[in-house]
Amino acid sequence: MRMLALFLLLAAGLWAKTILIVAADAPDFVLAAGGAVAAMIEAGDRAILVRVTNEDKDSYGLTAEETALRSRAECEQAAGILGIGKVVHLGYRAGELGGVSPTEIRDRILFQVRLHKPDVMFIPNPYAEYVEQLDRHYVGMAAEEARRAAALGNHQPPHEAVGLKTHHTPELYYYAQPVDPRRREPESTATFVPQPVVKDIARTFAKKVRAAQALKTSNHAMAMRVRERLEATGRRLPLLDTVDDASVAKLAELNVAGLAKIGAADSPYRMAEEFHYAGKDFQVPEKLRAK
Amino acid sequence: MIIPVISIFLMAPRMVNLPPGKVLMVLQPHHDDHTTDYGMGGLIAKFTEAGWEAWYVRASNDEKDGANGYAHNDMINLRESLAGTRELGMKGVYSLNWRNDYMDPIPLNELREQLILLIRKHRPDVVLGHDPWGHYDRNPDHRKVARAEAEAVWMAGLSNVHPEHFELGLKPHRVPYRFYKARVDYGRGHEANAFVELTESQVRKKQKAYVAHRNVYASPAMARSVRQQLEAQGLVIPELEGKSDEEAAVMIEEWHMDWISRKRGAENGVRYAEIYWFADEFDSLPGLKEYLGANVVKK
Repeated sequence: MRMLALFLLLAAGLWAKTILIVAADAPDFVLAAGGAVAAMIEAGDRAILVRVTNEDKDSYGLTAEETALRSRAECEQAAGILGIGKVVHLGYRAGELGGVSPTEIRDRILFQVRLHKPDVMFIPNPYAEYVEQLDRHYVGMAAEEARRAAALGNHQPPHEAVGLKTHHTPELYYYAQPVDPRRREPESTATFVPQPVVKDIARTFAKKVRAAQALKTSNHAMAMRVRERLEATGRRLPLLDTVDDASVAKLAELNVAGLAKIGAADSPYRMAEEFHYAGKDFQVPEKLRAK
Repeated sequence: MIIPVISIFLMAPRMVNLPPGKVLMVLQPHHDDHTTDYGMGGLIAKFTEAGWEAWYVRASNDEKDGANGYAHNDMINLRESLAGTRELGMKGVYSLNWRNDYMDPIPLNELREQLILLIRKHRPDVVLGHDPWGHYDRNPDHRKVARAEAEAVWMAGLSNVHPEHFELGLKPHRVPYRFYKARVDYGRGHEANAFVELTESQVRKKQKAYVAHRNVYASPAMARSVRQQLEAQGLVIPELEGKSDEEAAVMIEEWHMDWISRKRGAENGVRYAEIYWFADEFDSLPGLKEYLGANVVKK
């Protein structure tokens, strides 16, 4: 019996996948993909999060420095709740990526790809429309490029000297919060391109809610912005009559629930997340697969 | 388990009335973008007729637009943008004077900061501009200004973004409503989700605003060419008989504005219309939108 348990443990370790999540900011990743990632981790996979910006802007009444400090700690807490084993902070200032070399961001992500050799990557969908935080677009573009470049030996040749080998990541998920009205349309009928999929998150929903609630600084800012907007137009949301930890946590839960409902639309699930997925056949033309 | 899904969420454009508010800001790269065959002039007139204060931000210097050479084009186009926006009842024009058609390499964050400053000064309830997610727009200035606009509208509301502005007494301000326009004949890039109904008066103002740009529209040569082509087929347009080429050109351009407004109207079951991508106040919070809709109450 002991031998069998040991065998199963070893086998699980061998089959476990490594997931590399790339995010511009923690809220985007947690809200768009937190449930699916948590489910994969519960099934035995291990995950690393690369957080590109320091999120120093998204707060209410805090300095940029204090915001960055709190956001970092809250990101790590949220990642821990989802079961993510490691968080890498690249530290770029939030909202400033439009002024940063895309190649520089790409190469920093590329380093992480070669270091961690993921089987699966989750990246922001740079093609999602009406996503107003363009950092997510820039990070998505850089990550998509990094995945490709990491497999090519002529990119970053010094890596070889320090033992970082080229690496091809076979599976890719593009995530985005559901603001793009055309997100469910397939990109084309070609077999090359990522196609829309939904993933059931009912089992990890509670975990996702707790992870989202851990992002207290951005949740508080969201609550205050909603309240201020309503106040300025003669309205109120009873939940936010008092903005405190409890009401902010409730708002975060409602947000996660609302997103899960949208994600589950037209699917067999009650709670889901939406992605564009490029699996192992990605970039292998159909006519060649049989060979 | 991975479930592939395909569904079409898009619906026909819905009629949108003016949202609550009193200040409109139009963020555009060029002198003539306030009124084109794909929108804005009629909607701007609709806002100003309803008593809104409207501002036009022209990001480039328009030196390439026209046949008079760089400096002259710049001067003429500024004068005509003042005239065109006046026809629409707008209050003023800010010219940022970035070099026309050379905006691709300019610092995005610097342009964005200029827009944020003006947003904080005027605190618009609505911003109109090019659709930042429009596809196939080969004009670099359209792309650049739209991208800066996409972030400026919400980043202006964050106190950690350009805090130096607050030394002037300005305060953070997030723009709650956005109307975006783009050509709908450029591939699948821009699909309108809203239409606004226009009145006869608003279409007339749109016509006047369009032909105020004589440096680039209403060219007498165009009217001459049209008349020659018709003459070769033994045809005339009675309304143009006895008119000079310049007068004929103005009439043709005005018909064009009337025609496109009628066409958009017919497509949407009204007499005159313009079509847009409209972003509502809580569209950026998709997970909360339904809850807010059901639970927000009057004070």
